[in-house]
Amino acid sequence: MNYETVMGLEVHVELSTETKLFCACCAKFGAEANENICPACMGMPGMPAVINKKAVELGIAASLVTNSEITPCMTFDKKNYFYPDLPTGYQITQWFAPICKNGWIEIETSEGKRKITLKQIHIEEDAGKLVHDNRIGASLIDFNRTSVPLVEIVSNPDFRTAEEVVAYLEKLRLLLSFAGVSDCKMQEGSMRCDVNISVRKVGSTALGTRTEIKNMNSLKAIAAAITFESQRHINALETGSEVLVQETRRWDDNIGETFSMREKEAAADYRYFPDPEIMPIEIGDDWINDVRNSLPETSYDKYARLTQELGLSEYDSKIITGSKNLSDIFDGTMKYFDNPKEVVNWIIVELLSIAKGDNKGEDDVKIDCRKFAEIMELVDNKTINRNIAKKLLLLIWEDDIDPVLYVKENKLGMVSDTRLIEDTIQLVLKEQSNSVEQYKAGNDKLFNFLVGQVMKKLAGKADPKIVNSLLADAIKKDDM
Amino acid sequence: MSYFIEDYGVRGHNAVALEDSIMQKGKQVTANSKILEGFVSPFNAAVAERLINAQFTVAGKTSMNEFGIPSLLNGQTEVLGAVKVVSDGVVDYALCNDIFGQYRKQAAENSCCYIHPTYGTVSRFGIIPLASSMDRIGVVCKNISDGFNVLSKIAGNDFRDGAMYPEKTYKYEISDKRIRIGIPKAVTQKDELFDENVTKTLGECFQTVDMELENFDVYKQVVYILSCAEISNNISRYDGVKFGYRTPAYRGVNELYINTRSEGFGTDVKLTALMGAMVLSQENYVPYYEKAMKVRRLIKNSLRFDNYDVIALPCSIGNDPYENLSLYALSALAGLPSVTFKHNGHNIQLVGNVKREDLLLTAWEVCRHEL
Repeated sequence: MNYETVMGLEVHVELSTETKLFCACCAKFGAEANENICPACMGMPGMPAVINKKAVELGIAASLVTNSEITPCMTFDKKNYFYPDLPTGYQITQWFAPICKNGWIEIETSEGKRKITLKQIHIEEDAGKLVHDNRIGASLIDFNRTSVPLVEIVSNPDFRTAEEVVAYLEKLRLLLSFAGVSDCKMQEGSMRCDVNISVRKVGSTALGTRTEIKNMNSLKAIAAAITFESQRHINALETGSEVLVQETRRWDDNIGETFSMREKEAAADYRYFPDPEIMPIEIGDDWINDVRNSLPETSYDKYARLTQELGLSEYDSKIITGSKNLSDIFDGTMKYFDNPKEVVNWIIVELLSIAKGDNKGEDDVKIDCRKFAEIMELVDNKTINRNIAKKLLLLIWEDDIDPVLYVKENKLGMVSDTRLIEDTIQLVLKEQSNSVEQYKAGNDKLFNFLVGQVMKKLAGKADPKIVNSLLADAIKKDDM
Repeated sequence: MSYFIEDYGVRGHNAVALEDSIMQKGKQVTANSKILEGFVSPFNAAVAERLINAQFTVAGKTSMNEFGIPSLLNGQTEVLGAVKVVSDGVVDYALCNDIFGQYRKQAAENSCCYIHPTYGTVSRFGIIPLASSMDRIGVVCKNISDGFNVLSKIAGNDFRDGAMYPEKTYKYEISDKRIRIGIPKAVTQKDELFDENVTKTLGECFQTVDMELENFDVYKQVVYILSCAEISNNISRYDGVKFGYRTPAYRGVNELYINTRSEGFGTDVKLTALMGAMVLSQENYVPYYEKAMKVRRLIKNSLRFDNYDVIALPCSIGNDPYENLSLYALSALAGLPSVTFKHNGHNIQLVGNVKREDLLLTAWEVCRHEL
């Protein structure tokens, strides 16, 4: 019997606002526990909710890049439930009139292109984080994430394969990160995906029993969780080994299986009602157009610009435009050093390999673009050679040195005095007379050895091309 | 009986008493609930801040019903602290939050006045929230004209409250307008004395207009359903996890919630929370909450302030507190300003249009001089 997997996705994306949804607390990731909190996001009484306008604007941006229909007058609503990470006892979300509906995104997989349709996107506040501490036998609460604004993007059950899910998430990440909506980092939790999954016999139109899988924090984990869970459903249907129930299951990445979270979900009644403190928000065409006009270049426009206008290779352009962060580094560096091929080369070959050594991916690389450009400038005007430049990049990465100053202070400038190079060559030719003889006798490899000896004596500070040609001249002369 | 639950000893014409739901930085604030025991406010309420900036001082904190919810079962037996301090002449003014009308009613009954301003003209920042769509700080005073002077110091837009009108300040001045008073006959007839005497004498000083309050019979249900829903939501933050009272005995988080809230809330609050949860539950949302919202809209739309300027209402129609709720529901539901006062032995309530407190002040002045 052939089975088909049917999936719908709920993707939570934290919005890139400076401050939280209803207070002035910093909304950035990575602070000490409970560093970014105030009476409002701690749920204390007396602070009416006042909405962060920037969050609404990023919500409009998310609606635009997903081809959604924006709600002319949206409302915020309250969802009531008790949980220690929810300090007010309610979550402010959009239930009755979310910011947009009926969007779509085109994805591309090995099967070709297809559209994934979206049910809706709504803005809501995030909850805090519980940390279970076994040493003291208690749960600790970190409220930093409380009230950080996010959008939940709810798809229709359009997905059939894990590949489609991964392609969709990749596409969403590119669309949203380039629009400045979110940095979409799964590892840091700024992009989280819950998968609603069921299986049915091919040809059947009725949906099977659905489970929701949570707690996947990478694309790899999502693909693995989908494969595991759909197989579990198929096994259950084929062998009757277990009865499928509608439930939420937690993915355990170490074990590679999903586990029931044993929550009585049917009993939950969230008592939604319109938030009486937040007035309905009208989103008129002017506001939408303002947001549309201020949207930054999309990943696809940028790819076109890099390949067509700047003449970069498709391979390089794909890497640069595959990450908002790399693309920002590219633009930032180009401002100081206007040579796209050189900049891309430095990013892809040098910067990414240093980052990789530090276990950092494309989205986590950080570099001061001005200093990065200065290194390229120093090579370009022949002040330093490439090897020294690479060392400088590492020093910037590790110690944030100032490259121009460092070159000056450590006298790393290239030896441009040809007399000195020629004298050094003469010295090497004398010292290595055996090698010189063997080279002349036809052992070509020894030429590079001799170049290396010269460079060593010059402390690596000469232009290897010049050394090459002067050495060749010197050996020729020696012959005559 | 002591007037204050906390007395700062300040008296004189610039002393104002604050109900214990108005937060003052560094001072415990409990809204008379055990659940907030030990909770010290980290900031000043906007109204407290503005009073102090206007050279007023806080005399002390007055007692109140728990969270400001009067007992609908037993009625209000004791005189509330904010009314008592003014009627006994301890201070000239007290500020409090009045949704259900208990302050408006008692002020008139105890020879004081009450000014209930337009919703959204006085900041709710730093007020222990009750029903957010109705919460409003008002003034208990000896004299409406002086009361408006205090109100002018605390009213005006505050960016920390998102449901406010944009005006930065309000001046409450007597108007030249010849005021037309709307008399909802069907309502005033419920209080025979009021109907006979007050409407007659009002007719001598003002042009009176017969009018109808559509859906008056369900006012109390609508205000009760909506306020219970909002209150049950607003008090869900008191769970024993972060601040205030926490039960000494619990195993696991569910017991922490249940015991803390069972021990921390009184009967009327529990009843309100239960009613609120009931009307918001999945099966009851449409027949109760949504319907009440629709009727609220109908009530707002039914008003015809182009035919009259002020509506006159009695302050009570019998002894049933639930029935009397109807009289105060209009301003609660439509956000309208009102004043209550005693005149010639009658307790009078005047309700005006949004931001037309000036006409209430004017009407009161006319009554004072001519009635």
